[in-house]
Amino acid sequence: MKKLLVVLLAVFVVMSFAQLKVALLINGTLGDKSFFDSAARGIKMAEKDLGIKATIIEMGYDQSAWRPTLEDIADQDYDVIIVGTWQMQEILEDVAPMYPEKKFIIFDTTVDYSKGDLDNVYSILYKQNEGSFLAGALAAMITTSGMEKTNPQPIIGFLGGMDIPVINDFLVGYIEGAKYINPNIKVIISYAGAFNDPAKGKELVLAQYRQGADISFNVAGETGIGLLEAAKEMDKWAIGVDSDQALIVEEKDPDMAWHIVTSMMKNVDLSIYRALKLTIEGKCPYGKAEALGIAEKGIGLADNKYYEKIVPKKFRDKIKEIEKLILEGKIKVDTAFGMPREKLDELRNSVRP
Amino acid sequence: MNELVHGILSPQFFYSILRVTTPILFAALAALLSDVAGSTNIGIEGMMLMSAFWGVMVSAWTGSAWIGLLAGVTSSVLLSLALAYFYLNLKTDLVLAGIAFNIFSSGATVFLLYLFTGDKGSSSSLKSYVLPKIDIPLIKDIPVVGDILSGHHVLTYIAFISVFVVQYFIYKTPLGLRLRAVGENPDAAQSVGISVKKIRYISMLLSGLMAGFGGAFLSMGYVSWFARDMTNGRGFIGLAAQALGGHSAFGSMWGSLLFGLAEAASYTLQAIRIPSEFTNMLPFIFTIIALAIYARSKLLQIKKIKEEEKKA
Repeated sequence: MKKLLVVLLAVFVVMSFAQLKVALLINGTLGDKSFFDSAARGIKMAEKDLGIKATIIEMGYDQSAWRPTLEDIADQDYDVIIVGTWQMQEILEDVAPMYPEKKFIIFDTTVDYSKGDLDNVYSILYKQNEGSFLAGALAAMITTSGMEKTNPQPIIGFLGGMDIPVINDFLVGYIEGAKYINPNIKVIISYAGAFNDPAKGKELVLAQYRQGADISFNVAGETGIGLLEAAKEMDKWAIGVDSDQALIVEEKDPDMAWHIVTSMMKNVDLSIYRALKLTIEGKCPYGKAEALGIAEKGIGLADNKYYEKIVPKKFRDKIKEIEKLILEGKIKVDTAFGMPREKLDELRNSVRP
Repeated sequence: MNELVHGILSPQFFYSILRVTTPILFAALAALLSDVAGSTNIGIEGMMLMSAFWGVMVSAWTGSAWIGLLAGVTSSVLLSLALAYFYLNLKTDLVLAGIAFNIFSSGATVFLLYLFTGDKGSSSSLKSYVLPKIDIPLIKDIPVVGDILSGHHVLTYIAFISVFVVQYFIYKTPLGLRLRAVGENPDAAQSVGISVKKIRYISMLLSGLMAGFGGAFLSMGYVSWFARDMTNGRGFIGLAAQALGGHSAFGSMWGSLLFGLAEAASYTLQAIRIPSEFTNMLPFIFTIIALAIYARSKLLQIKKIKEEEKKA
């Protein structure tokens, strides 16, 4: 009898291992056309190809509900629980050690491993600084190219959601990329202080364009919709972010899409798919943070018809060349994570118009 | 420093003040119309949001921005009547009900957005329409003034025209007098046969009308989509602007312009690397200073009156 029980248990354990049970917790809602949708896409891909069993839970924007939901889900029989964004970082740092038998993945930020007991957490970072380096280089080439919608002044713009490390990581790469092309480049930097105020985003970028910028980089979530509006209204250029924003708006507003030269994409979907695949293979480095860059296809510029039609071939070739140099380690892009405030300020002041 | 002068003194800067002021001014007028009848509408934020949402949806369905505007304003007015019903008939606390309506609008708009478009962030997949901009003949040809005053969104003009209309309505019409009477002393108004309930319904309806215009401006002029919680506190800033101006439409306008100026300045200043923490603070510093000056002048006024009473 005892033997039978053991066998049954063994079979049960093996069966449950065969199919990985995954929960994706979204601290917001789907439909952001960006991060969360991309994460869900990665889960769907893994469901199809890797045969996992997945649940997607939208926790909404009420922050007080996030922690209890995460605890609830960890109490259930999921093997891997995925969360994302910096807003979940502290919550996960508290919750993960209470469930050492569960595995957690957090994307677009990292937990602080020095706090200990986080061997079951795998953090996915994106080298947005590398992607933004490309965006900055492209912007610097376009602004003095004499193309339509540009002026001769070497001034480019940057719209950030908030003055926080993740956003500044974009900024650091953007500035360095622009300086790589043109050491005398000037960057007008604006922070909206909110991720959901498109009217404010528009107003800020209109001010940038008024002050001589002819291209601006959108790193501001839904606030950044305002940047796209401003580009269309003033007939200037925009660079999208996170997902391919030209493709998102082309159906609604083709004219607007023609103002978006490219987008700096974070491929959350591919990175989550990769993490789950590695987990099944037993190779996923839990207990560590990994920064995915150009090499892992974690980030990249959107190569769509707008990019091909708007951006001259010689610029596109230059971008490819820079991409290669970054891959080979010949160009080192600094990161805002761990960068002292003075150094960041120094960099920002060096491109001040 | 050169850029600062260049940024602030350009006609575009003054143009942007008027644009930034528009939604705040509508909200302030909405606050004023409810406040004179003694029932301050805390739900302006939610009504604006609702109007912004329906404006986009209906304009996308019908292909007409004007029908969209009508739908947006209607939704806001219906919401204000519902709030009035809760307050006047069911005797709920006005402030609590107002807050509840704001939260309701925030959730309901996202829910409906998802229902109709499958999106929860913004209406980016919908082809919605915006209301036109208007060039004023003659004025548009005057060099600097034309750049500032002409070429605005039609609702911007409506906002500033509304200031005069509202001022006339409150102080020169019989209904406006009743509104003020109910606001000053409802019992006295009741005793001379004015229906307090009816008057407050009317004031709430007018308040919803103004909030509706403000919301429609955000999604059908300022930008051409609806985004979750896109009002982002403008309804409340409108309440503050009205508080600065007291029971006068012109006061509300100056209050709104003050906020508009502070906001527009904060945008321009940021572009020349004044820290964003500081520039984002500007509109609120302006508020505190303005309120302090207002309170001080009120105190002096009261003192003066008391001294004169003593003399007499």
